[in-house]
Amino acid sequence: MKIQIVRDVLEANDQLAGDIRNVAKKEGFTLMNIMSSPGSGKTTLLERLIPALTKKEIRTAVIEGDITTTADAERIVRMNIPVAQINTEAFGGDCHLGAEVILPALHQFDLSSLDLIFIENVGNLVCPAEFDTGANVNVVVISTTEGEDKPLKYPLMFRVCQVAVINKIDLLPHLDFDIQILEENIRKINPMMEIVSCSAQTGAGFDELTKLVIAKR
Amino acid sequence: MHELQIATNIISIVEEEIRKAGKTEDIDFVYFVAGKMRAIIPESLQFSFDVMKRDKPFLTDAELKISEIPIKIRCKNCKAEHTLDEPVFRCETCSSPEIEIISGDELYIDSIEFSDT
Repeated sequence: MKIQIVRDVLEANDQLAGDIRNVAKKEGFTLMNIMSSPGSGKTTLLERLIPALTKKEIRTAVIEGDITTTADAERIVRMNIPVAQINTEAFGGDCHLGAEVILPALHQFDLSSLDLIFIENVGNLVCPAEFDTGANVNVVVISTTEGEDKPLKYPLMFRVCQVAVINKIDLLPHLDFDIQILEENIRKINPMMEIVSCSAQTGAGFDELTKLVIAKR
Repeated sequence: MHELQIATNIISIVEEEIRKAGKTEDIDFVYFVAGKMRAIIPESLQFSFDVMKRDKPFLTDAELKISEIPIKIRCKNCKAEHTLDEPVFRCETCSSPEIEIISGDELYIDSIEFSDT
């Protein structure tokens, strides 16, 4: 005997993600989810972006999803903004942040005093794309030391994001990397993607990135 | 790696449905639908499911049947429909980027089948 079910396997997560968007609407903040491979420079990017936003009187906070260490959170805390640390497992655990860990993390903040909350997701281009965090804006960071074909290998990630940040452009002179090809590949997957190039190390491109982040708020 | 979480979710949803239906028979098959967009590796999902089901009553002999759905798009501009064989999300007819995905992002349990005995 067969019984028809037709139930989405991510329904529990998607429902919580919807709850998070309702909280954001009610409290008047924007939730921005930053995703990338390990080592593309998410934390360094935030270290440069957040002071620029603070200067424009945008009040930020960060939910840190770094798997095992508090190293990334410590770097963010130095900027004197609220940080909620999600530590999954001491010896490497979850490969993504689900809505069920984002919601309690949000409630660690005084939400009414914040404009923009970043999620620094786990470094991974597969699983974080699959699980809706409840973010209003999804951002993928890709660095010039990765291959130009990354978008073609991880299409879901580049479909769920509205913004792509190409980081580490200061290294271009030393690399056999064609930024044009990367941009073409991004647009093959997501023709509507907004793309910004920058270097979190030197600060190049950050005026444009800051403007874009403010516009997305 | 997301396959493990998905297998866990499949099992808890199926257990809930068994309770709801008041069934005490074993389950033979769980029919699962995965769109190509979701980047599910069937072998990996199968493996995770087989590991997770071991200590579950009614599920120890269950087999996961996965059907994969191709990615289909419809152009908002010229209304043409295409099945994507490679990841280029643009209308093949008029090359407009304004497309909608009409299938390929499914991720659901379609049905469960109980043994008749």
